[in-house]
Amino acid sequence: MIGTTVASPSGLIIGAICGLVPLLVGLRYGKIRAGLLAWVACLMSGFACGVLGGIPMIVLATAVVISYAYVDKQDPFTSRASLEEVNFEESNFEYFMRQMSRLGRTLRQYWRALTRNKAGFVGFLGLMFFFVMLTFGPLLVTYEGRARIDRRQPGASSLFQRPSAEFPLGLDWQGRSILSHVVYGGQRLIVTALQAGFATTLIAVTLGALAALLGGALDQVVVALANFILTVPQFPLLLVIATVARDQFKNPLFLPLLLGALDWPVLMRAVRAQVLSLRERDYIQAAMALNLGLPHVIFREVLPNLISYVVVNMIFSTRAAVYQLVGLVFLGMVPLQEPDWAVMIYMGRQQGAIFNADAISMLLSPILAIALFQLSLVLFTRSLEEIFNPRLRTGL
Amino acid sequence: MNAPSAAQTAAPLVSLRGIYRSFEKDRREIPVLQDINLDVYSDEIICLVGESGCGKTTTGKIAAGLLSPSRGELRFEGRLASEYRTRSERMALRRSLQIVHQDPFASLNPTHTIGQILSFPLRRHRMVENRAGLRRRVWELLTLVDLTPPGDIVNKYPHQLSGGQRQRVSIARALTVNPRLIVADEAVSMVDVSIRIGLLKMLHELRQRFHLSIVFITHDLALAKYFAWEGRIAVMYLGRIVEIGPTPAVIGHPAHPYTKALLAAVPEADPDITRRKKQMPLRSEDIPSLTAIPAGCSFHPRCPFFQPGVCDHTVPALLPAPQTGQLVACTPLAQSGTLKPYA
Repeated sequence: MIGTTVASPSGLIIGAICGLVPLLVGLRYGKIRAGLLAWVACLMSGFACGVLGGIPMIVLATAVVISYAYVDKQDPFTSRASLEEVNFEESNFEYFMRQMSRLGRTLRQYWRALTRNKAGFVGFLGLMFFFVMLTFGPLLVTYEGRARIDRRQPGASSLFQRPSAEFPLGLDWQGRSILSHVVYGGQRLIVTALQAGFATTLIAVTLGALAALLGGALDQVVVALANFILTVPQFPLLLVIATVARDQFKNPLFLPLLLGALDWPVLMRAVRAQVLSLRERDYIQAAMALNLGLPHVIFREVLPNLISYVVVNMIFSTRAAVYQLVGLVFLGMVPLQEPDWAVMIYMGRQQGAIFNADAISMLLSPILAIALFQLSLVLFTRSLEEIFNPRLRTGL
Repeated sequence: MNAPSAAQTAAPLVSLRGIYRSFEKDRREIPVLQDINLDVYSDEIICLVGESGCGKTTTGKIAAGLLSPSRGELRFEGRLASEYRTRSERMALRRSLQIVHQDPFASLNPTHTIGQILSFPLRRHRMVENRAGLRRRVWELLTLVDLTPPGDIVNKYPHQLSGGQRQRVSIARALTVNPRLIVADEAVSMVDVSIRIGLLKMLHELRQRFHLSIVFITHDLALAKYFAWEGRIAVMYLGRIVEIGPTPAVIGHPAHPYTKALLAAVPEADPDITRRKKQMPLRSEDIPSLTAIPAGCSFHPRCPFFQPGVCDHTVPALLPAPQTGQLVACTPLAQSGTLKPYA
């Protein structure tokens, strides 16, 4: 998986076929511009991820197109007639259209919320840049894994080279194109960090919600454990575990789980506090009085109020995981695997890039890539807050 | 209880018997309710009035079955609440007792649209047969609480509505499950004064239309008088009912010194009347703490008719007042029929 990409030219064809659905719907309802945009969206998403990207995009894009077309339709609910005159019976097709247009309206609201916050939108664009680079980049740039001694210039003391027209980011200590390492080197780092962020959030939300809802001994044990982990210095502990458990690194899920296991306490305490306050709200009590059931209370009443907080914190956990991963690699505590931005920094330092003016790009490229990715993550949270808060989303 | 009218001779809808409730705070038991006896008949309005902290809301929550009493029994249609054992029986009991909260900003989940808020209970309790029925019912409920046209409301989020509109949504939500009793906990006190009368009128109409009983909790005697003129008022003080009876009797001829004091304190819109109004000076303005409830009649440290040796020894029982017939808990009144000012 790593070092390759799911993007392929055949995906273009898949995307183009998928895009026909919203395009035809757009033509049928006279919304040609929306239909064309939807077709492009399907095309790109099919190109990037094949069937996995194309099929879901059919639903989303079609919903958006329908939401432009269906608004004029006479829904009995909007009529001003009396109850006796209104006919609420509707065919399955009408129901389907109504639901799709609702989904489409929601998606457009999300998009508006996303673009309204300038900082958040910049973050979103940054993340899209990295997504495009990691998926489409491999189609344009070939990865150079082997040393290229033949590129040594006459009289040069090393294989390092400054950026040139042929090699936009220069060559590394083995004469390989740094650009190819930048393009390929983010995949493992970002995927591992996302997994770690997800693991952290999953542990924190489960334990936090259970501790708050059930209370008692469980609450005390969980909080005590969290406090214990919080007291131990995180990074030294990580180093110790990484050293002791060297053999485990063959399992690609070990590192994300390890990071998650050390990172959850802060978020857990916050989630617990939120749930404790949420469960006393009047609308929770009203749901109890209406006997809507515990699953409804947890998933429909409590969780939607937490989701923005949780997702924003998942992003922050991902950000923290990136730095921890880079730190571990930089100290050489985990097995090195190329291509990887962190490994580039590590090898650059090892090979004396700090003291070599020709090698400046060897260190700066991965550092900039990591820093920009982190910045995009942090900025993007601003938009996420607007998306998940109905008050901000509906703009009133 | 006292002088039930013809319609009330049937068994009460909800009856509280010898209810005690205490909360634990800093490892100390705080008695919030003591020996509450209250019958709510079907199709009746009963107002609970009293100062904040007197246990009105706790009583309301117990009557709605949302809080279990520490001691005492709750009966619904003559059957103990604990005897509702099977799942369907408990669901039916739960449906019958609903509550409308004070704060319309906190009682609706901000993440759901009004349509969703009304649909959840309708679907959960299978109150409707199909999609069309669901939409029809939501339409009907919104029209019932005067939120018209429903199409303008149904896709809105709570924060897009005014306080009065939200309170109407709250009421509509309580009505989704066809309840028998609605506990309205200060339901209009956080709504603009200009909208209150409209809400109260609507509650009255709904009550008549669906034969609801309403337990109306308020600290505002004027409101209680307006809303419950055909019903009863129960005056609460420090976790006990001190006077209960038909509204005209309690408001027109208050028997308990505390009720008299409350009525004397109600401001009138006309400043001339307020000036001429006879003030009733209490001996102390401070409400005793629930952690140190005075012995005997808990009102005695403030009572202008305090009789040493009587009031601070015996806990007064609720007995019929001499002429007017409402029940009142005052030992001197029960013994001699009149009240003598404390020297």
